[in-house]
Amino acid sequence: MNAKVFYTQPDGTERVLEASPGDSVMQTAVRNGVAGIVGQCGGSLSCATCHVFLESGEFAPVSEDEDDMLEVAATDREDNSRLSCQLVLAEGQEVRVAIPAAQL
Amino acid sequence: MTTPEFPFAPRPVPEAIAHLGRLVADRPMTKMTMPYGGDVWLVHRNSAARTVLGDSRFVREPFRTGEREVPFFVPFPDFLRTTLQFEDPPQHTRLRKLVQKAISPKRVAAMRASAVAFANQLIDDMVAKGGPRDLVPEYSLGLPIEMLSNLLGVPSADRDKFERWSASTLAVAGKTEDEVAADMAELAAYMTNLIGRRREQPQDDLLSALARARERDETLTDAEILPIAFLLIVGGFDNTATFLSTGVLALLRNDDQRDVFLADPDGLAATTAEEILRHGGFALGNPAGGGAGLVPFVATEDVVVEGQLITAGEAVSIDPSAAGHDPAAVDDPGRFDITRKDNPHLTLSYGLHHCLGAPLARMELQVGLAELFKRLPGLRLAGEPVFSRDVLTQPMTSLPVTW
Repeated sequence: MNAKVFYTQPDGTERVLEASPGDSVMQTAVRNGVAGIVGQCGGSLSCATCHVFLESGEFAPVSEDEDDMLEVAATDREDNSRLSCQLVLAEGQEVRVAIPAAQL
Repeated sequence: MTTPEFPFAPRPVPEAIAHLGRLVADRPMTKMTMPYGGDVWLVHRNSAARTVLGDSRFVREPFRTGEREVPFFVPFPDFLRTTLQFEDPPQHTRLRKLVQKAISPKRVAAMRASAVAFANQLIDDMVAKGGPRDLVPEYSLGLPIEMLSNLLGVPSADRDKFERWSASTLAVAGKTEDEVAADMAELAAYMTNLIGRRREQPQDDLLSALARARERDETLTDAEILPIAFLLIVGGFDNTATFLSTGVLALLRNDDQRDVFLADPDGLAATTAEEILRHGGFALGNPAGGGAGLVPFVATEDVVVEGQLITAGEAVSIDPSAAGHDPAAVDDPGRFDITRKDNPHLTLSYGLHHCLGAPLARMELQVGLAELFKRLPGLRLAGEPVFSRDVLTQPMTSLPVTW
């Protein structure tokens, strides 16, 4: 069963996408042209351009490498900041993320 | 239907775009014999290119060790083969992380105000001298040189000589091989000395960050830092300047898009910069051909990508023009549209080896375009731009403008 991701833009518009389990929130966004998620490094934790605020959904905790990159994202991090390349979707999971004002 | 040829000679832009569309419909990639280093697969399709760039079975080690010559349009400069660009994980990961933290989106955002101030200073100088002025030396090159000097931490007293040595690497400099080599040696000596000073007395700049960087008790040696500085200088000046000049000319030659931009330069700077990276070269009105590629990789084993077998040991490279005009990835790819929100071009590459200076390049392009057109909304051509046909990138060497 597919996962479902709700992406909210800074202006409040929302987009809902079906996603394959095993894909990340970043991959799903990039493949479907969700504005505001760049993902330039393809998930290798070296660009900090897929920053999101995780509003609901359970994932593995922030790793040391992810933590380092969140510190240098364009929009200041908050308690629920994540790099969406690290949010790998489980079967049937529903996730809500908000996209920050700037990635670059 | 005949098989669409590749490479192909320059032709009017709409025909070139149509040709690229037929090419990506026909096949994901084409094997091409390069002037140097033999054969390489040029990957045209956006999806196939992303697959290759995201697959760690494609590496660069055989190029770094010299086991294999880099298939390219020109002999690949030796000093570039020793840079980060030619490392693979895990060494690449270690270096890349250290450098990327110093050129991060956050750091670049903090540099934006000084970029705006410097762009306005360059515009002030042009206005004071009066038009027409040549935008390439007086604006497009000035901005990236200043920003990179700031980032690296070159003291202002040394700016003139640093710029003189660095500018020697520019395609537009027209220097002889010996002159370039002499300047490079002086630049290397200067940078080595500066790295040593920063190691002793760190400042808030990239060289200090690298000299003081510690990861798992390892520190970077001068021999590791120097090539990173060179890579930034070589990659940062020429390319950024060319994109900025191309962006200005593209807007000057497309009245409808210039009108759109002038209505909100700050608000549209980000999407405009991306559209120029994707399509700027095609929006100048000059005929466009196909046959360019990014720095290649080598397959470590047999890999099938979208039905095409790439055999172990074969080289593979990305064709950013085709990937940026693939109708499966880009809606109406022939349209120059500075408001495009979804713009999955690969001009700055993707994955592990995506452009190290991407955040800086994007910021400079955004600021460079927005400030120029805010200050000089009546900007117009005052003559024909000049392109150098002698070098691979065919950079713009002169762009006469007035206002």
